[in-house]
Amino acid sequence: MRPIDDDELVLHHWRDGLEAGRMAEIDAALAASPALRARLATLQRTLALADTLPEPIAPADFERRIWQGLQARIGAPQRRVPVTSWLQGLRSALVPVSPRWAGAMAGLVLCVIAVSFFAGRHSVAPDADPAPNHAMASRVLDRYVAAHLRATEGLLMTAVNGNDVAIAGDRELASALVDSNRLYAQAATRAGNVRLATFLRQLEPVLIELANPAGSDAVQSIEGLRDYVRRTDLLFEVRATEARIEPAGKHSL
Amino acid sequence: MNDGEEWVAQARAGDHGAFRRIVEVQARPLFAVCMRITRDAALAEDAVQEAFLKAWRHLGDFDGRSALRTWLHRIAVNAALEQLRRRGRDGAAVDTGDDTDGFLDAIEGDIPDPHRHVLGDEVRRRTEEQLARMSATERTAFVMRHHHGQSLEDIADVLAINTNACKQAIFRAVRKLRVALHPLRPSA
Repeated sequence: MRPIDDDELVLHHWRDGLEAGRMAEIDAALAASPALRARLATLQRTLALADTLPEPIAPADFERRIWQGLQARIGAPQRRVPVTSWLQGLRSALVPVSPRWAGAMAGLVLCVIAVSFFAGRHSVAPDADPAPNHAMASRVLDRYVAAHLRATEGLLMTAVNGNDVAIAGDRELASALVDSNRLYAQAATRAGNVRLATFLRQLEPVLIELANPAGSDAVQSIEGLRDYVRRTDLLFEVRATEARIEPAGKHSL
Repeated sequence: MNDGEEWVAQARAGDHGAFRRIVEVQARPLFAVCMRITRDAALAEDAVQEAFLKAWRHLGDFDGRSALRTWLHRIAVNAALEQLRRRGRDGAAVDTGDDTDGFLDAIEGDIPDPHRHVLGDEVRRRTEEQLARMSATERTAFVMRHHHGQSLEDIADVLAINTNACKQAIFRAVRKLRVALHPLRPSA
């Protein structure tokens, strides 16, 4: 029989990661060898060390603190938006949040006004089917979000492949994308597109990180971010979302 | 449908109250695992916060094949590792000088039993010291296997490494822990 090394004893202790045949060999060897049993006893004492430490106990008001923090971040409870009011919701969600973005958002507002007009014409008859209005505004949103995702994709590619100078040069763009990302997430929520809204919210921390790299830890922070983007397949997710919504965005208004 | 599944279904529909109940039931166990990995209460709390936020955003991905608790546990482990990475505290493995094959051979004067020994505080201090010397991956793999009874395969999956790398991480962790059993020397 092959000699039993200490690593195999570790696996044997947890009955995990060993072939059944090898496990049986070690069982037999343990029954026959006091020296092997002594090694196992040392292992058991070693592992028992970890149990001498006190069980981590959360502070008394832990659940409340966690919930308070979460509440601030997950926003107000979602309600189903009635079809008749969704255009108003979309319009308010697209209002620019800072003067810097007023110009850029003006185009959006104009589009929304155009959509509202279109929707208004079709809402004169009470029995009118609101579905075409809904589809039209969804396309407006999709078109803008697709453009937003293309810009985000470029930014992420620089973050993953570019040098630190290139990443620093993209800070302003990242900062602008944080603002627009929030608006599009709100707009998607209000339009009832939970999937898109959730995805955009997932993007936000990465954009914030690119817009505000930590001072002295900038290199480490960028490395962590690269690792995160690779590990979560974020670039792929951005492309997939873009591809999913882009065909709709290409339709004429 | 049990309470957990019902709460998930309601939370998916945007019910904050249902999600709050999930938080209330699961927050403490998640804190324990995050604390064991980060060894820092503030980081552990941040990790739990991030884990629940991620869970909220991805409730639609929870397919119910695993228990809610298992799903949240996986998210929390990664959130704890992320906290360490962000703060540059994921630490490369430290060579203990104890990587020889026979690390379980008895050493004369080894502390015989950590539970009964009169030097319990000293043993705990040394154990803490060795846990701190482990890299984040080593400590996480060890915590998940030893304290939470998770299989090597599951641990490898959560840590996004192969099973062999997972085994090696655990072997290194056990070797480091072994150092805490070495004979106590009088302090200078």
